[in-house]
Amino acid sequence: MMDDHTDEQLDEWIREAAHSYHNPLPAPRNEMWHAIQAARRTPDVRPIRRPIRWLAWSVGVAAVLALGVSIGLIIASDRPVPVLVAAADNPSPTTPQRVSTALAVVTTEHLTQAETFLTLFRNAVRTGEVSSYAGGTARHLLATNRLITDSPASADPVLKELLQDLELVLAQIAQLSEDSWEGETDLITDGIEQRAVLTRLQTVVPAGTLRGALSL
Amino acid sequence: MARSTDEGTAVDDRQLVAGVLAGDPAAERRLYDANVDRVYRLAYRLTGDPDLAQEFTQESFIRAFDRLETFRGDAKLSTWLNAVATSVIFNGLRKVKRFRQREVDLDLATSRASNRAEAEPDLKERLHGAIDDLPKGYRAVFLMHDVEGYTHEEIGTSLGIRPGTSKAQLSRARAKLRQSLAAFAGGMTE
Repeated sequence: MMDDHTDEQLDEWIREAAHSYHNPLPAPRNEMWHAIQAARRTPDVRPIRRPIRWLAWSVGVAAVLALGVSIGLIIASDRPVPVLVAAADNPSPTTPQRVSTALAVVTTEHLTQAETFLTLFRNAVRTGEVSSYAGGTARHLLATNRLITDSPASADPVLKELLQDLELVLAQIAQLSEDSWEGETDLITDGIEQRAVLTRLQTVVPAGTLRGALSL
Repeated sequence: MARSTDEGTAVDDRQLVAGVLAGDPAAERRLYDANVDRVYRLAYRLTGDPDLAQEFTQESFIRAFDRLETFRGDAKLSTWLNAVATSVIFNGLRKVKRFRQREVDLDLATSRASNRAEAEPDLKERLHGAIDDLPKGYRAVFLMHDVEGYTHEEIGTSLGIRPGTSKAQLSRARAKLRQSLAAFAGGMTE
């Protein structure tokens, strides 16, 4: 093991030698300036990352969901219905069994939206196209998630655990700022993977479930 | 490399930004000239590719001009520009990596790292490989601090981390580099 003196010598050598790492050529100032000016004059072709389209409508859907949860909470106490998703061919054992149809639909819709959001978020991280709109969408979904967590829909311990994990992930995304994207987004997607949040969402809400539920 | 640190910087920055926001093309060019080398050097250090460095530098300035009204003067304009640039560079690198190394063979990478001592006897080559192998955050902090001369405060603002985190990451980066070069260290310091 090297002592401190040797470490300092080596650090000094590393600092010096590292200057040859990716040693920059002179910046092509004028070429870049002309390209920047051209891009700014023609905004349609410049390589700006555009906000992801789904984020706009998901904000609206999240707001509607919040209203739906409130309605569901009112109905839930009167009409216990032993079905979360009537149209599911093979209802998951994780689905709560004693919530109203309205609350079940709202819960299912929320989980579907969350699954879509996280899938798109994960893809956006991979392609480097995460935008600040993601935080806004996460905040709306987070609000709905908390309402559902406090509702009879979370009586099922497995669903409750999923909602709690979902809350952690959504809270992390909601707190993202553009300056902290680097590193943070990877941590979030790692968390999604480690907690198998997407897999569990897909288990709870099988494909096509929502359409069937809404056709009741 | 133009790096203004005097007390008049804040005033100059505000005047320059005001000029750009007022549509003064000369102010735009001054802002660009004062910062382009620094941004390009950082892009080049982090990418090692002249084309990518050029593309990311251009994108950084396009984005900076678009968002200049959000500059509040809390930090120096150059630091704010660095934050924009690092965001562009890291996001861009992630996208490039997706195309170029979609299926990274981790076993191959490990094998390459472990065999480098025999395959690349030159110490500088080994150092470059070791820098490449640093975790992304460590590499950025090491290059920005030890190679490009940024302060930990500037790095913190640029990368969205605290200066203390920057110091810790630099320390770990140096330790990893020392570790990677350990096989050569004895011969070098004897």
